[in-house]
Amino acid sequence: MSADTPLLDPAIFAHLKDKLEEETQVRDTLTQIVQRLERAVAATQGLLSRVHSTPRARYPTLVAQLEEAIKEEVTIVGELNGVASQQPYYKYNSKWARSVQNAIGTVIYCGWLGGLGNDAQPGELGRLLTLEQVGEIFNVPTNLKDRDAFHLTIEEYLLSLTDLTSELARLATNAVTHGDFELPLTISAFNKDMFAGFQLLNLKNDILRKRADAVKYDVKRVEDVVYDLSLRGLIKRPGEGDTEMAAAE
Amino acid sequence: MSSGVKRDRDGNARTKARQPAGPPGRFHDMFEGFRNELDEHHDRRERIIKASRDVTAQSKKIIFSLQRVKLLNQDAPPHIQQDIDTRLEEISKLLNGVAPDLQSINRYRYTSPLRCLEEFIEALSFAHYLRHQTLITHEQSQAAMPTNIILTPHDYMYGIFDLFGELMRFATITTAQTGELAGREGRNILEDIQELGCAFEMLPAVPTKDFRGKMSAGRQSVKKVEKLGYGLVVRGSERPKGWVPDMRDDAPEPVSPV
Repeated sequence: MSADTPLLDPAIFAHLKDKLEEETQVRDTLTQIVQRLERAVAATQGLLSRVHSTPRARYPTLVAQLEEAIKEEVTIVGELNGVASQQPYYKYNSKWARSVQNAIGTVIYCGWLGGLGNDAQPGELGRLLTLEQVGEIFNVPTNLKDRDAFHLTIEEYLLSLTDLTSELARLATNAVTHGDFELPLTISAFNKDMFAGFQLLNLKNDILRKRADAVKYDVKRVEDVVYDLSLRGLIKRPGEGDTEMAAAE
Repeated sequence: MSSGVKRDRDGNARTKARQPAGPPGRFHDMFEGFRNELDEHHDRRERIIKASRDVTAQSKKIIFSLQRVKLLNQDAPPHIQQDIDTRLEEISKLLNGVAPDLQSINRYRYTSPLRCLEEFIEALSFAHYLRHQTLITHEQSQAAMPTNIILTPHDYMYGIFDLFGELMRFATITTAQTGELAGREGRNILEDIQELGCAFEMLPAVPTKDFRGKMSAGRQSVKKVEKLGYGLVVRGSERPKGWVPDMRDDAPEPVSPV
């Protein structure tokens, strides 16, 4: 209480300065890693875009290339994990959320095309990798609640699913062009189940709501393809022999 | 597709057909899990937003009460102290209610719904300044938190940013009332706010709108108090010593000196 007590302890601002500088450094490091991740994801997405001009018989070759490209993503996500886990997860997650979401997207797409199988779960066309399986592929935890470290979130996964339904809707059309009339049926069933899933969620008025609402258009686009094929009798629908469609034959 | 038909034609409520049209989709269970997780998240967020709004309101009222204090380095008058204590207790209840939602990984997850902490630190730091004429430290602020919510450096810094405005208002009111700048021998509020201003100027700039806005508001406050000091030297001699303007306890702030 003496008159010469200073207003402030210099340590206060020295500490704040350290914190701010550390923050800048973390941000810079993350920016660099995320940029590399974005490039790796873009390369994989480039390969993925070839699926639209690839007949189904040649999917295995494409999938092998995809798996190779995904290895690069896995390495970089590993680095990201190393840096990000030193910090509170939600302090910086906006820096990488978008790129990680896209990386998850490439993995589930590759998985859907029959890639990324293992001994327990062989690759198979039309397979949906769960969030946990995606986490295993990237070698990072998922949906962490009890400790503060890097992980893949439910939101990232769900957003990437909406990318998948939209990509598959495009694939349905192109499969027909390649003379593959079976694939649209697989896709149609998949997208419908996906849409039913999204309808179970209580969504807030946010980006996920917007994207989930759009899934119904992906369903419709594939339904239109299936309709065109059925109308022309280009597909046999097993187990639906009693529909009017079959009766008309 | 009927939309929300719940009664038959006799007006009897229909038992809701709960079973879905077909078998549940392949991803039914997975999405149900996600739904539960997302609901938990949204509920937590709502609770925090509500508590935060109330804590902000209580903190603002504490600050209003503190602005009625007239003297530095003294205990606040009992009626003011009592008012503040009641409000602190209320804040303590509110924050304790959401503390479980803000542990571990969730502390930073809900940083933006928890903006009330800035306001609360502003109140704490202002009370601390009035009593001790020193700046509260981060550790002291954390110790003053009525619950086990971690105070981030960000909360602390942005709370202190807002202290500038309170110091300026306090300086303006007390100068008008007493005809001199509040303080004790060796240090008055003008020097204090200048020193605090310098400390912030020395910090590395954070490239956010929030930081720039607070910084410029802080500078404005420093300038206003500087003008007060200038006014006292230039015009102070025209006023008899001990002259007190006719002001009620809670009269509104005098016309801004700028």
